Amino acid sequence: MKNRLILYTVLLAMTFSSCQRLDLEPKGILGETELFGNEFGVKKYFTALYNYLPIEDFVYYGNNNSSAYRPGNFWEACKFSQGNASGEFFNTWVGPTNGGFGYWPYDRIREVNLFINNFPTYKSNFSVATYNSLLGEASFLRAFFYSGLAKRYGGVPIIKEVQDPTADKATLEVPRNTEYDTWKFIYTDLKFAMDNMSATSERGRANKYVAAALMSRTMLYAGSIAKYTQYIGLGSEKAVQDGFAGIDPAKANELFQYAEDAGKFVIAGPYSLYNKEADKGLNFANLFLDISSPENIFIKDYDRTAPQNTRLQHSYDALMSPVPDFSSNVGTESFPPFDFMELYGMTPYVNPDGTPVRFNNRSDIKNGMEPRLRGTMYFDGDVLRGKTFGMQRGIYQTYTGTAADAQAGSNVAPINSTVIAGKTNRILGVRNSTTVVNGVTLPITAAHGSFEDGNAENNGFGAAFMRKYINTAVPVSDVNLYLSGQHWIVFRLGEVILNTAEAQYELGKRTEAFANIALIRTRAGATPAPAIDQTLINTGSINKVNTYPYSLEKSLQFIRDERERELYGENHWWWDLRRWRIQDQVLLNFRPRMLSCYFVANEGKYIYLDETNRLNRTWTASRASVYEPIPAGEIAKNSKLLPNNPLY
Amino acid sequence: MKKINYIILGMALLGLSSCFKKDNYDGPDSGISGKIIDSYTGQPLLSSQNDWQLRIWEKSWTASTAVNQNIPIKQDGTYNNSKLFAGTYDMSVNLGPFWPIDTAKNVVFGKGGKQQDFTVTPYLQVVDFTTTVVGTNLTMTCRLKAPKRVLNGKNLPDLYDIKPYLSLTSFVGESNNINIPEYTGSKIIQIRKSWIVQYGDVDYSPVITLGPLIVKSGYTYNVRIGANVNIGSRPYNYSEIKQVIVP
Repeated sequence: MKNRLILYTVLLAMTFSSCQRLDLEPKGILGETELFGNEFGVKKYFTALYNYLPIEDFVYYGNNNSSAYRPGNFWEACKFSQGNASGEFFNTWVGPTNGGFGYWPYDRIREVNLFINNFPTYKSNFSVATYNSLLGEASFLRAFFYSGLAKRYGGVPIIKEVQDPTADKATLEVPRNTEYDTWKFIYTDLKFAMDNMSATSERGRANKYVAAALMSRTMLYAGSIAKYTQYIGLGSEKAVQDGFAGIDPAKANELFQYAEDAGKFVIAGPYSLYNKEADKGLNFANLFLDISSPENIFIKDYDRTAPQNTRLQHSYDALMSPVPDFSSNVGTESFPPFDFMELYGMTPYVNPDGTPVRFNNRSDIKNGMEPRLRGTMYFDGDVLRGKTFGMQRGIYQTYTGTAADAQAGSNVAPINSTVIAGKTNRILGVRNSTTVVNGVTLPITAAHGSFEDGNAENNGFGAAFMRKYINTAVPVSDVNLYLSGQHWIVFRLGEVILNTAEAQYELGKRTEAFANIALIRTRAGATPAPAIDQTLINTGSINKVNTYPYSLEKSLQFIRDERERELYGENHWWWDLRRWRIQDQVLLNFRPRMLSCYFVANEGKYIYLDETNRLNRTWTASRASVYEPIPAGEIAKNSKLLPNNPLY
Repeated sequence: MKKINYIILGMALLGLSSCFKKDNYDGPDSGISGKIIDSYTGQPLLSSQNDWQLRIWEKSWTASTAVNQNIPIKQDGTYNNSKLFAGTYDMSVNLGPFWPIDTAKNVVFGKGGKQQDFTVTPYLQVVDFTTTVVGTNLTMTCRLKAPKRVLNGKNLPDLYDIKPYLSLTSFVGESNNINIPEYTGSKIIQIRKSWIVQYGDVDYSPVITLGPLIVKSGYTYNVRIGANVNIGSRPYNYSEIKQVIVP
């Protein structure tokens, strides 16, 4: 009895005391104090945000419905890439899409807002410099998310507070801000970041120069939108009238000025154009592979040795070079059109009398080619992973006449279809095939570019292959899906110089702009830029048959082209076309061309002919694609997001 | 044994019928149809199949924000949707190639449907349309007419394209045509200027020639010309359709 009484007493004591201990913070979960209260916690918190930044890199593809920036089946990124969807590359099936994927990162913005809101509580834990820098970094992250929104939708709701999910429905339904206010909000956040962040940071994290680089890009976008939206005839649309899509042209100079200022700030910073190699072509190619490049302002790291399924690898190498010589799986999914090679100025391949130039070797087409183009694409005779590229489209038994007689490669052109000695004058074939002409066995095609079917889809639709970002250091056996680890350069000095030059030209500072262009062209090994020419034109350099809805100075078009020459394949082209408001003209029945090499049998020489792409594919971007529609699901939740963007 | 079978069958019947609920909401028994009338000619507007759409918003449904439904305009300038719920609707035709008109508010669609015509003033008229075939070359000419260069204080938007359309079917226009480089690109007259700058303050343009366009011997084409101004989705005003037989 006595024992039992003791037992009960002990039990009673235990039940009373146990509740106190359960009030302790759980040790397995990091709470706000752990995350915001010290530098390492903040780093951990920011890591997740960096992971979700809207960076259009190797794995991004805009028609992936779930999340284009962190897609599931991301090996497909290189075939559905933004470049393929916007005509910068071509392959067999991908066309322009503009439905968007419903990008709406307010969950991440909320996380940033939570930090900005609550971090001041822990101010005493940090030195002033560290505290300011971290707060600046948060502003940079928020601006980056908003820039992903603004370039798609124009004006979006600006949420600076941490919303309470249980609050009144009316306060949670935030209407759109104007496009000007949205870009201006990005400006304010980035200005704060530039003023408060430290000058250096560990790799993959932002500092004040990274913030300035983003400022340079975003304000250039905003300035162009302000200047050119007036010309596209959408003034009757409610979203335009209310300022949600488009900006008052009077604001253009203000925004261009921000871009110039930010650009100059970066140019004066600790970066320099990559110039480690004497061979300018190799130098340009290495710029994208050398992780220690002094040109890198901000990069996104990948690591081929990291555990699989971590999204820390990509498949760029396996999907940009032909199988089996350079890749062990899939093979090329993106071919560069001739239209873009032409931007660099090609070696003459047509004589003044209209006849094709005769070359002794296929690779003679590279003679006199701008080194930057050689650093951007692989041509016949170039070596990768111990093998040599060979690209030949076919044989002409004889070629008498002009280049135009081939009618862009048409099968019905007489020079192609005439039968001589039992064979058509133009002979095509599958990979590495041969034929006998006048008793001599000749190769019709080579191992890579431009052969007829027989796995051509992943090997031979174009007449050049991508070199930019191709990692030369790995053996072919290691070039496979999810095995590429080269970093993506988010911002580099070259882009900032081009942003600055364009902003300066738009501001009328033509000489300063061309001084910046000269820096780019010298590094590229290109000829000096032509003298400033203020003649007004209204056609561009790609798909010239369609004219712009406005005129611009010839030299401004040169700066735009310089941008594409330097930044080809770096996912700028689509956004540039959109902000210049010409995407529906440049991509109107845009039919990518290819420069095909033929052997002329009776002369023993090679000629190059300008042909349409093999499937006669065209690209047309819709009129509405100047903006993406506000996601329907978000409108269903919040009707104050209306009016929707023009033409939706 | 037999009893068990009955029990099982009975339970199955019960199971199948237990969730049965009749959808007693009536099907759509209203509709809307009508014509877009050209105020200059009094005839239906010369159109192409589904170039642009009439938008309607059902206002009698108030549980959520009304979302527009689109009804395509047919080549003969008419439209028809015979499966709509009765109610009040707002209707707007302002995606079309004419001076904007007010949205028709609170139009009642009763049982059996409603007929609603809209009279509009086209931005441009394509008149005096001719075709000539010489060998396998087709040339088209027309004149543009813009009787109203200013309306309600607004200027006619800038002229944009004058474009030839060829088709092998009876449907011909922006949404149905032979889209090959021979008929697009440099064969389109791309103006990008205001009427006043291009032609002066006159009703008619001079004769505009499109072509020659390569056509195939032995084929019958339906052809027309479209012209548009730089506004909205840049819809086209069309000429009538002519049949061209290539000998």
